[in-house]
Amino acid sequence: MIQLLLLPAALLIALVFGIPLIRYCWLSVHANSVVTGLVAIPNHGANWLRLFNDERFWQDSAQTARFAFVSVSLELLLALAIALLLDQRWRGRGVVRAITLLPWALPTTVMALGWRWIFNTPYGPIEQLAVLFRLPPLNILSNPDITWLATVVGDVWKTTPFVALILLAGLQTIPNDLYEAFYLEGGNPRAAFFKVTLPLLQPYLLLGLLFRLAQAFGVFDLIQVMTGGGPASSTESLALYAYLNAMRFLDFGYSATVMIGSFLLLVFICLFSWLVIYQTRHLRGVFK
Amino acid sequence: MIRTRKLWITALLLWSLAPLLWQVYTSFCSNESLLHTLTDHQSRWTLENYRQVLTANPPFWRYLLNSALVGITSTGLTLLIAIPAAYSLVKVPRNVARGAKLFLLGAALFPYVLLFLALLELARNLNLGNNLLALSFPYTALSMPLAVLLLSSAFRDLPSELEEAARVEGLGLWQRLRWVLIPLIAPATASTAILVFLFSWNEYPIALTWISSADLLTLPVAIARIAGSSVYSIPYGAYAAATVLGALPLLLLVIIFQRQIVSGLTQGAIKG
Repeated sequence: MIQLLLLPAALLIALVFGIPLIRYCWLSVHANSVVTGLVAIPNHGANWLRLFNDERFWQDSAQTARFAFVSVSLELLLALAIALLLDQRWRGRGVVRAITLLPWALPTTVMALGWRWIFNTPYGPIEQLAVLFRLPPLNILSNPDITWLATVVGDVWKTTPFVALILLAGLQTIPNDLYEAFYLEGGNPRAAFFKVTLPLLQPYLLLGLLFRLAQAFGVFDLIQVMTGGGPASSTESLALYAYLNAMRFLDFGYSATVMIGSFLLLVFICLFSWLVIYQTRHLRGVFK
Repeated sequence: MIRTRKLWITALLLWSLAPLLWQVYTSFCSNESLLHTLTDHQSRWTLENYRQVLTANPPFWRYLLNSALVGITSTGLTLLIAIPAAYSLVKVPRNVARGAKLFLLGAALFPYVLLFLALLELARNLNLGNNLLALSFPYTALSMPLAVLLLSSAFRDLPSELEEAARVEGLGLWQRLRWVLIPLIAPATASTAILVFLFSWNEYPIALTWISSADLLTLPVAIARIAGSSVYSIPYGAYAAATVLGALPLLLLVIIFQRQIVSGLTQGAIKG
């Protein structure tokens, strides 16, 4: 009887998560585009063959993975520092915590456009500073080699507070007695950090890593508004490519294929990073 | 020690606020002075940007209103469905609950942007496009996994004797929920509500594809549209004014509900 209360929630989730995934699998083995008059015609895996030979898909995969790994690593490091700072007791901590949260609470698109202005050539502050210091123009948003770094900055700025809060929650579960005992045994703060804090924080670091990796891999809002995937597709993410396939090229069959492909890659990357972490943990045990 | 801490705090504040303060600064600059943002300029200060944004068609507060409407309906719907579900998740056998939680965690982790195409088809088939209230349907569903996880961990924390006592007193299931259990999980409910509201307020890809009529745009889409208007001649002054106006409600929200947001995220991290 009580289980019936689960039904509406389960139905909603099945409808919004389940049906799309089934629909994508079906679409991915059909041609459904402007060419076919938006009618689905079975095409015997032609979409998948195209995906494997699609250089743009693989380039976007590499770019998305690069973006995700670099921003998530930076976020974890910065968030750890912020969490350690916010975990200490000092006057005005509440206010600082609220301000730290602010970037995370703002809509991504709002600050994506903000970053575009900040990195603008030649009028944005970064370029103006470059002029003041008599540096050559940086052309941050029009140089395919460095634009992705600007998107990393935007992502790190926005999502670090979120990771910091997860780590802060972890820090607060570590009992003070442990540190006291450690210091009584003659340990110093640096050793306490590596021998007490980090090991006990590990589950939270993993949670933050997994959560952020999945989100960063599906990055869309930031890229679409900040760079539109350019210059020369150098910042295009997989989600943006799937979006362009559907909304600009009106090729729904292939768009669905790109989405399943991205999802499979994401699962693969999550498993891979989990394995790497698991392995290094073993190695550390061996060296002890 | 204290001094280095102060240094770190200053760095943290600067990092969090500088990009926003730059937007505030830009929003008060006249268009001509934006060509020389860091050097002296006569007639720099102006309210023209704000006037322009607030008298545009539709005026900017319209988008704030739209976002608020979607946010409130999605939050209400989510709580209405998630609270009973979270309660029953505590009552089902342990292994079922564990399976359900893993499933919910997976759904919460899923990069939902990948769902947009199928959801767009759904909107077309059910005629839900260009309808603000209809947006709360996908938003409710997408918030559901996290909401159920947070709320069920709150229900689990309540001592079971409490509900037992209420049952002995002769209260039915509905009465127990209404008078005993739901009031007790109010803090978790508040946290969940804020997180769902923030998600709905900020959501972009679905709002982008479901809504095309200019009067019905939500804030994130309206702002992105300014970006799409032209690559080279974005009205940055007016845009910065829009950013500031769009950020103000959230600034208030974060300041007022800071405690709930923190506890919501941290509870989720500890028990989710």
